[in-house]
Amino acid sequence: MAFPKQIKTNINLVPPKTLSARREQLLEFINKDGTYLPQSVLHADLDLGMLEFVKEKLKTTVSGKDINVVDKIITNQRWSQFTETWNFKDPDFNVQLPFITVVRQPEVKYGTNPSTQYTIPNRKQFYYATVPTWNGNQKGFDVYTIPQPVPVDLNFQVKIMCNRMRELNTFNKNVLQTFSSRQAYTFIKGQYVPIIMNNITDESVTEIEKRQYYIQSYDFTMLGYLIDEEEFEVKPAVARVVQLFETDVNVAKGRRAETFPPNPNEFEYRLFYTSGNTTLIDNQVDYRINLSLVSTNNINGWDVTINGDFYGSNLDTIQLNTGDILQVDITKDNVGEEALILYNAKLV
Amino acid sequence: MSDKLVPITRLGKFFGGEDYSLDVAMGSEWLEGDMNFTVILYRIDRYKTLQDDVYGEVPEGGIQFLAPVEIKGLVQILAPTAQKLGTSRIEQNEPGNMKFSIYQSYLDELQVEIQMGDYLGYYETESKVRYYSVADDGRVVSDNRHTYGGYKPFYRTIIAAPVSQNEFFGT
Repeated sequence: MAFPKQIKTNINLVPPKTLSARREQLLEFINKDGTYLPQSVLHADLDLGMLEFVKEKLKTTVSGKDINVVDKIITNQRWSQFTETWNFKDPDFNVQLPFITVVRQPEVKYGTNPSTQYTIPNRKQFYYATVPTWNGNQKGFDVYTIPQPVPVDLNFQVKIMCNRMRELNTFNKNVLQTFSSRQAYTFIKGQYVPIIMNNITDESVTEIEKRQYYIQSYDFTMLGYLIDEEEFEVKPAVARVVQLFETDVNVAKGRRAETFPPNPNEFEYRLFYTSGNTTLIDNQVDYRINLSLVSTNNINGWDVTINGDFYGSNLDTIQLNTGDILQVDITKDNVGEEALILYNAKLV
Repeated sequence: MSDKLVPITRLGKFFGGEDYSLDVAMGSEWLEGDMNFTVILYRIDRYKTLQDDVYGEVPEGGIQFLAPVEIKGLVQILAPTAQKLGTSRIEQNEPGNMKFSIYQSYLDELQVEIQMGDYLGYYETESKVRYYSVADDGRVVSDNRHTYGGYKPFYRTIIAAPVSQNEFFGT
């Protein structure tokens, strides 16, 4: 009877999160950098996610030795390939078997991920988060919106090249166990991206007069999506303004502004009589004022009539209301000369 | 091999066994004495070498060789080819095969047989050795080329494909 070989030395005593707590946890993964927005997920990120997946989930060990994985997606750049594989080269500087490499088909087609297919036209922006703002004076919210991610299918070929069947078998076992449900997930910038296994083909060299080795190719399709932070929008929402004023309680030492033109509440009220004139009539007094006599010149005496009613003679003070009709008749000392009665008018 | 010996009488009017032996001896002198291309033959010990029951593959460190033998013959190394490993983008400069011609009489004298899968080591410089795996041991020598003017076969041509060092050392 076989005994189980996997011995767990560390058991997680904290139960994994479920339901809404798990959803919040997933959101925290996405917003890990603290910008309230997801990070961009572009082609290079998806490729890196596939590389990490192969290195971690499809790690293959035979006879106590790990099979090397080429640490980059090999492109047409020769020096890069040389640099990335230098640590497992033979004396001819050729890559030494066994090793695993990841080849991505250069063309990336529109995705078949059913959750993001042709559902929203015209790159419409969708609400993602409301973020509080405070600039020291203005408290408000910004509304973050993002468009629907663009689905993409990336086709990868993971190839193992080796000399022995047991290496093929071990790698094949790892792959089939990982993809026993047809798909597996890689974790890219906080997001789980599915990978589907399609096909397994053999490209081994079987010609007699050539160096013989096995090549097996595993075809995978990553059902990814592109999230481009250049398409994110941030719009201001409701804002409240708090305006604070400080008042100096000390006596103002500054110069007061002068009113111009001047607007006094007292002014001269002059009754000037030309030669030969002894009666002046103000048909409509514009103010409610008190007149106080200041001086007279060439005046022997005067009679005051208000609204046709005699008011008095030689009056030092006169009270007038708005709209009153004032008539002042004088007697000159010298009849042929000019005369003046000067009152001070004070607005009441 | 038949126990009954039948004399070869073809070409008898102007060529015979003595001529044949003389020419082979002169050729051997030139090849083994003057040219002196030396290859080390690593014969697999097919009894002591460990292998798994299903695939017959050697586990790590399980390959065992008989005592290495220096053999002399005509060495031709074909030109390397730049190629990619299968459909991967891994490029490499694949070394060319070794074409090794050797007199059968020489092998008979050494009592050595070269078989498919044996390894050949050829020192390209004092410190650099390249290993080859015998892909064609040249056992079939019935063609005109391997016979001396149609008289009798006299040499073998062995084709060996390059192998990596870790394959040779069984790691």
